[in-house]
Amino acid sequence: MNETVDMSVDFAGLKLVNPVFTASGTSGYADELADFMDVNALGGFITKSITRKPRKGNPTPRIVETDSGMLNAIGWANIGLERFIEEKLGILGSMSAAVFVNVAGASIGDYVSVVERLAGEEAIAGFELNVSCPNVEQGGISFGTDAGQVAEVTSAVKKVAGGKVLMVKLSPCVTDISVTARAAVEAGADALSLINTFTAMVIDIERREPVLANRTGGLSGPAIKPIAVYLVNKVYNEVAKEKGIPILGTGGIRTASDAIEFMIAGASAVGVGTWNFVEPDCAVKIVEGIKKYCADNKIKSVKDLTGSLK
Amino acid sequence: MTDNGAGPTKGVYEAVVRSNKEIGRRFYRLGLEFSGAGGEAFAEARPGQFAQLDLSGAPLPAAEAIPEGLGDAARRGIILRRPFSFCDVTRKDNKTRVEILYCVVGPASLRMRGLSGGDKVSVIGPLGRGFSVAEKKRHALLVAGGMGAGPLLYLAKVLTGESSKMEVVVFAGARTREELPFRRPLDEISRQLGFSLGEFAEDGVKSQVATDDGTAGYEGLVTECFSKWLGEQNLPARDAIIYACGPEAMLAQVAEIAKGRNIDCEVSMERRMACGIGLCQSCAVECKVEGSNESVYKLCCEDGPVFDSREVVFSS
Repeated sequence: MNETVDMSVDFAGLKLVNPVFTASGTSGYADELADFMDVNALGGFITKSITRKPRKGNPTPRIVETDSGMLNAIGWANIGLERFIEEKLGILGSMSAAVFVNVAGASIGDYVSVVERLAGEEAIAGFELNVSCPNVEQGGISFGTDAGQVAEVTSAVKKVAGGKVLMVKLSPCVTDISVTARAAVEAGADALSLINTFTAMVIDIERREPVLANRTGGLSGPAIKPIAVYLVNKVYNEVAKEKGIPILGTGGIRTASDAIEFMIAGASAVGVGTWNFVEPDCAVKIVEGIKKYCADNKIKSVKDLTGSLK
Repeated sequence: MTDNGAGPTKGVYEAVVRSNKEIGRRFYRLGLEFSGAGGEAFAEARPGQFAQLDLSGAPLPAAEAIPEGLGDAARRGIILRRPFSFCDVTRKDNKTRVEILYCVVGPASLRMRGLSGGDKVSVIGPLGRGFSVAEKKRHALLVAGGMGAGPLLYLAKVLTGESSKMEVVVFAGARTREELPFRRPLDEISRQLGFSLGEFAEDGVKSQVATDDGTAGYEGLVTECFSKWLGEQNLPARDAIIYACGPEAMLAQVAEIAKGRNIDCEVSMERRMACGIGLCQSCAVECKVEGSNESVYKLCCEDGPVFDSREVVFSS
């Protein structure tokens, strides 16, 4: 029965074996996750943020748990562009999943130089521009909350992306997410990914200080899922559907039902983030669960789920 | 031959709870049993390695068993796993029994307290790098602060195993006598003199106790007790190694003592972790870069939790 479901999706010209990605910053450079699951069972894989130079990241504590989520303030800790190319492109190139490199920087020049250097690499299917990280002093969310800057960084990167898929990851910390979504699309984005985390704070009442060394962090996990579903639906209706731009829906997904909600809301593919920390093979289980749901509901192609909200 | 503590293949395994006993004020020992592949993996678990327990489905203890001050914590939900090291690992009849020493302090450990025989727990492990077992050393000096005694109990057992010629001495500190996290209570003479903890004596290990309030053994910090003892000995530095686990301030002092006497020293660090498997990058430990003034962040979960004390930049 299951065999009759076509799980492949078209994502900005890429043919993916299924619509499930692991989200940036929650699945390392892929080798870490490979100990727990068959990474080739994924439709897509997104690396943690890569910056031009290596970054140590923020002091600790970098995370704190909340009732049904967590805050993180890692601060783009990564090995930097050159070591990434030397040490990680090999394993990424051997994966059947579409590999996206999440790119971060403090200036437009930073984004451009990372993308330009990687644009010729066969191992990479596309880029995810991180213009929505709440945990760094410069760059990140300061780009992503200003439609003008989103457009500027997107069009600058588009020129050097060498025809690879350019996806822009949007911040939910804006008055109207459709404004930044539209700015990205009009500047050349081939796909949108949403949402990144919400800026948040947890206070230690004994010390009357924030728990995180960075004071604030990004809230992720099941707590944000209903808001993410709403925002995906909004961007789908107001921007993406008309322009034919696919959405990668992320935010609190831990089960196949969660993933299916995002697709019904308008996502062409889904990203599993925080839940990789709890159940490192959950993405594979989600692929199976979506397949079963389609078979049970006589849906021949998973593509038909996208935007099927009544 | 030095075992570098790297340990066996990690995985996600199901464990069955076999015991969950109170051994001191708010201190408990949880006994988990693994069979099949999990049993084989955990049979090779090294002292100082750890596992990530999913306690989100564990039941809260009855209202009257919730300690004072933890009422708010009992109302909180949890999603992330929690890291614990092992205080004993034994293999029998193709099954592996792993003992975990824990203290009830918040929403996850409260749920751990609610576990009873037959309950199932999802466990990721064994994880990280444990203590190295330096067979060339003749003297192993173990310094434990509070809950830090857990992995050192297991280490003491491994160090004194068959064919070992190592002499092991343990220094265990706690705030007060009731918070010494050991199964066998101190008898009256031991209490007064502050030595010979029954649990270590089983393995032929000498021990000394320090309590902040002097209710057992040396009155003061375990590091003072340790330093005083070292001063009275005549140990050749190259024959000795120090292993420490406890609060970071204690580890920093032990590292200073080790440096002053040029004795090798390994410390087990603790950090908040989301995943424990290198994905989240949250458990950063600041480490010196040899030959420069720079530092890097290493991961407590993968590069540690046990580090050479010379490389760690302890937080003040």
